[in-house]
Amino acid sequence: MTTPTTPGVATPGVPTPATGRSLGLLVCMRCRATVRAIGVEQSLCPRCEAPLYVRRPHSFSTTAALLITAALLYIPANFLPVMRTHEIFSDDDDTILSGVISLAHQGSYPIALLVFFASIVVPLLKLVALGEILLAIARGRVRNPRQRSRLFRMVEFVGRWSMLDVFALSLLASLVQIQSLAIVQVRPGAFAFAGVVVLTMLAAQSFDERLLWDAETRG
Amino acid sequence: MTIPRVSSVIVCHACDLAHRLDSLAGYARVRCVRCRAELYRTNDRSPDTVIALAATALVLFILANAYPLVALTVNGSTRMTTLIGAAQAFYEQGYGALAILVAFTAVIVPVIQILTLLYVLVSLRLGGTVRGQNVLFRMLAALRPWGLTEVFMLGAVVALVKLSAQAQVSPRISLVAYGLLMISIAALISATPSEQYWRWVSAQREPGGPA
Repeated sequence: MTTPTTPGVATPGVPTPATGRSLGLLVCMRCRATVRAIGVEQSLCPRCEAPLYVRRPHSFSTTAALLITAALLYIPANFLPVMRTHEIFSDDDDTILSGVISLAHQGSYPIALLVFFASIVVPLLKLVALGEILLAIARGRVRNPRQRSRLFRMVEFVGRWSMLDVFALSLLASLVQIQSLAIVQVRPGAFAFAGVVVLTMLAAQSFDERLLWDAETRG
Repeated sequence: MTIPRVSSVIVCHACDLAHRLDSLAGYARVRCVRCRAELYRTNDRSPDTVIALAATALVLFILANAYPLVALTVNGSTRMTTLIGAAQAFYEQGYGALAILVAFTAVIVPVIQILTLLYVLVSLRLGGTVRGQNVLFRMLAALRPWGLTEVFMLGAVVALVKLSAQAQVSPRISLVAYGLLMISIAALISATPSEQYWRWVSAQREPGGPA
C-alpha cells in the first residue's frame, strides 16, 4: 500500500519530476479522473467505474503481438491484388500500388498523391514508428521521450486514414455491376490490407504511452 | 473499499506527470507541461446546444441512409448505390469481415454515438440520474477511434474520381447528407469532452456547486 505524500507542482526541466507513481496517485484511463492509488488492483474508478491500473496490463506484449501480425500481413496486403476488373477480353488485377499508378495516369494527381500517402506511406510509417518505439522501450533506454510521444500521437492520428482504399473499393464493387454481375471483384489483398489497418489501429490503442517516460526515468 | 478521488492534482494520462490543479483553475483547455498531452478540456456550451447538434446529426444520418449515395451511368443505364449497399457488396462477394468493418465504422459507430449522446443528454436535461451513464460513457470513449465518417467521405471521392475516367458518375443527395453528417459528428465529439460531461453531471447534482 502506498501512502500519498503532499503533491508537488511539476516544473519542466526538473530532474526528478513528481509523477503519479511517485505520489501514489493514478489517473483513470477512461474518464481521466485522478485518484489515490490505494489497493487499486481490481478496483473501479469512483467516477466512471472503469477498471483502474497503474499501467495498462500487458501493454508492451499486446502492442508487440499486434504489430508483428500487422507487419506480416503487410506483405500480402501490398503484393496480392485488391481488386479485379472484368473486361470483355481480359481481366485486370490491381494491387494497392497499381491503383495509385492508374490514378496518376488518369491525371488525377492530387487524389493519387492522397491515396499514396493514406495507403502506402501511412501503414509503413506506423509499422516502422511503433516498432522503433517498442525496441527503444525493450532496450530500457528512451533518449528523447517527448519526440517519440509526438511521433506516436501523429501515427495514431493519421492511422485511420488508411481505411480510405477499403471504402473506395466497397463503393466500386457495389456500383460497377451489369445486371448484378460484378465487374469489379474484390480480391484477397483487400482483406490483408484492411487487416493491416485494423491491427495497427489496435496496436496504437493498446500502447500505454507512459512506458516511454518510465523508460526515460530508468535510463 | 472505495478509492478516494483527488481534486487538487491532475496526473497526465500520457506521461504520468502530476500537476497541481488549483493553479489551472479557469482554463478551458490544459496541456501537460512535459509531454503536451491534453489533460482536460471544457467549454461553456449547455447540454441544450449539444442536444440540438445531436438531433441534427440524427436527421442527417437518416437522410444519408435513405437515399442513393452515388449513381453510375454506362451506355444509358444508371446504377445507384446506398451507404449500406457499399458494405453489402463486400458481403455478396464473400468478404463478410470487410462488410462488417465498413458497416461498423461508417454506419453503426456514428449512429451509436448520436443516439447515446441524445439519450444521455436528454435524460440529464430532464433532471435525475442517467441510467447506465458510466457504461455508456465508457462505450463512447472506446468507440471514438472507430467512427470513420470523414475517411468514408474521402473514400467516396476517390471512388468517384476513379470511375470518372470510364463512366459518367454523379454524387447523389445522400452523399451531401453524409458530408454534413461528418461535420456534425465532428462538432458533436468536440463539444463533449469527457470532463465537460462530468461537469454537467455535477452541476445537475448540486446546482451552483463546483464541477
